[in-house]
Amino acid sequence: MPSKFIFTNILGSYVFTENYKAVEEILFKDIGQFKEKGIYEDKLRQKHGNLAKPEDNDLHNILLFFKNRKYFPGFLKKNLELTKNSIKESVNNDLFIVQAAGAIGEIDKTLNLLTKRLREWYSLYNPEASDKIRDHEKFSSLIAKKSKKQLLDEFDIDEKDSIGSDLKEKDISAILSLAAQINSLYALRAHYENYLKELEKETCPNLAAILGVAMAAKLIEHTGSLKRLAEMPASTLQVLGAEKALFRHMRNKKNRPPKFGLIHEHQLIQKSKREMYGKVARALADKASIAARVDYFKGKFIGDKLKKELIEKFKIEY
Amino acid sequence: MISKSKIFEVYEDKARNKLFTVNLTPGKKVYEEPLVTQNNIEYREWDPYSSKLAALIANKCQNIFIRKNDFVLYLGSSTGTTVSHVSDIVGKDGFVFAVDLAPRVMRDLIFNLEARKNTAPILESANHINELMERISIVDVIYQDIAQKNQVDIFLKNISAFLKKDGYALLAVKARSIDVTRKPKQIFNEVREQLENEVTIVDYRTLEPYQKDHAMFAVKKK
Ligand SMILES: C[S@@+](CC[C@H](N)C(=O)[O-])C[C@H]1O[C@@H](n2cnc3c(N)ncnc32)[C@H](O)[C@@H]1O
Repeated sequence: MPSKFIFTNILGSYVFTENYKAVEEILFKDIGQFKEKGIYEDKLRQKHGNLAKPEDNDLHNILLFFKNRKYFPGFLKKNLELTKNSIKESVNNDLFIVQAAGAIGEIDKTLNLLTKRLREWYSLYNPEASDKIRDHEKFSSLIAKKSKKQLLDEFDIDEKDSIGSDLKEKDISAILSLAAQINSLYALRAHYENYLKELEKETCPNLAAILGVAMAAKLIEHTGSLKRLAEMPASTLQVLGAEKALFRHMRNKKNRPPKFGLIHEHQLIQKSKREMYGKVARALADKASIAARVDYFKGKFIGDKLKKELIEKFKIEY
Repeated sequence: MISKSKIFEVYEDKARNKLFTVNLTPGKKVYEEPLVTQNNIEYREWDPYSSKLAALIANKCQNIFIRKNDFVLYLGSSTGTTVSHVSDIVGKDGFVFAVDLAPRVMRDLIFNLEARKNTAPILESANHINELMERISIVDVIYQDIAQKNQVDIFLKNISAFLKKDGYALLAVKARSIDVTRKPKQIFNEVREQLENEVTIVDYRTLEPYQKDHAMFAVKKK
């Protein structure tokens, strides 16, 4: 019995003869139909009985059938539709984590820059305040809330002894507008930190427990997704962010391999002795790697247990 | 003065040492390329520093194997810089299947190329032959630039599945994406050996000085 072939693509479901002529086709109106192609293939099978899936040379010839200008519009429309759909569906928590962590980093840079400006500017008026209040956030918030006199009183300085000038109301107000913006940036930062914490509670609670919210976000940002983080060996995770040093070592073994990358900032490493760095970094990366895998496969929360093991092993609290 | 180059559908301004293709969608830029009009024809400048295919031409290859009216499978389209020139070359009666697995770049590609009716964006891995099979046809030419460790395997798989008999395929190789520890030359030699088992190599050249540590192989299906 001459066999016929069944072949389905985004354009439709087809029955081909052994000479690769399409004897029947069900054309898909949209990608929804393509995604339920089984239904249409069943229909064709019921009607035609025995239909083979083409392989090798048969498959090549059937794909050749579609190498025809008349299918351009179909290929364009359906591929565009399916690709747009997949892009929509590709949005997930990992991407929110990356964006929120990125925004926090940029807010920090901006705050640093603007606060320096604020201190310079405000110090024309009340330099004692900038000298006494070293913390940036406190500084900006206090000068917005309190008058020069109030502040000087708090420092036990007589207003006459201040080396700042008496400014006109409009000059003071210009400075305080900047302080107001800076304060709202701090508020925004706090909001995003909270948001990030919530996201990680849903997405990677274990990783966050081991590394902290900010560092977990940095690792996800660096690799692009929790999936990739979960798939890489712990030894790679350990040196993420130190790729340059790693390549230098791989090219020439005289260069020492890096002990750590992004995880360098971790309290466990910061608080340990130099000669212990390598050991601690390896143990930390091991636990973080386990945590990432558990998170990726939506396993139970074991972050506290993993963290306790690290603390006990190195006798360092974090 | 813009005139025909040795490569079909590619133009050059010899005095200014610049390459061009004819804009399929006059008035529209795809990235930041300058547009130049001469005798009522609008050309898009094609910079060898931002496109490996242009670098291949700048390095005096004899043929890029992509012709007017061709069907092209382009693997690793990114945001569409080079794809757009391939789309110019094949023209309105040719077709380009532009494949990339990263949603972020595909989003840009869709906006960048939306006016071109001869280019279909496909968000998929070049390694997923069965999925690709449902979205494309046999093609005249394959161009691959995916900077992946297993890029040669992927290239050969696609040739076997989608390239017509006697068709040509181009492979851009970034040495560092295969192995950062070894010399590019050594890596290119290994790629050559791996290719030679299954296809006939018809051209090989490095893309210096435009693209550091890159080479382009042109092969013919046996
Ligand atoms: C060097 S860029 C390509 C640049 C582009 N060819 C041009 O000249 O404008 C490499 C691209 O390959 C994509 N890529 C990497 N692996 C891939 C795979 N397995 N399948 C499809 N695309 C891949 C990446 O997302 C990236 O956009």
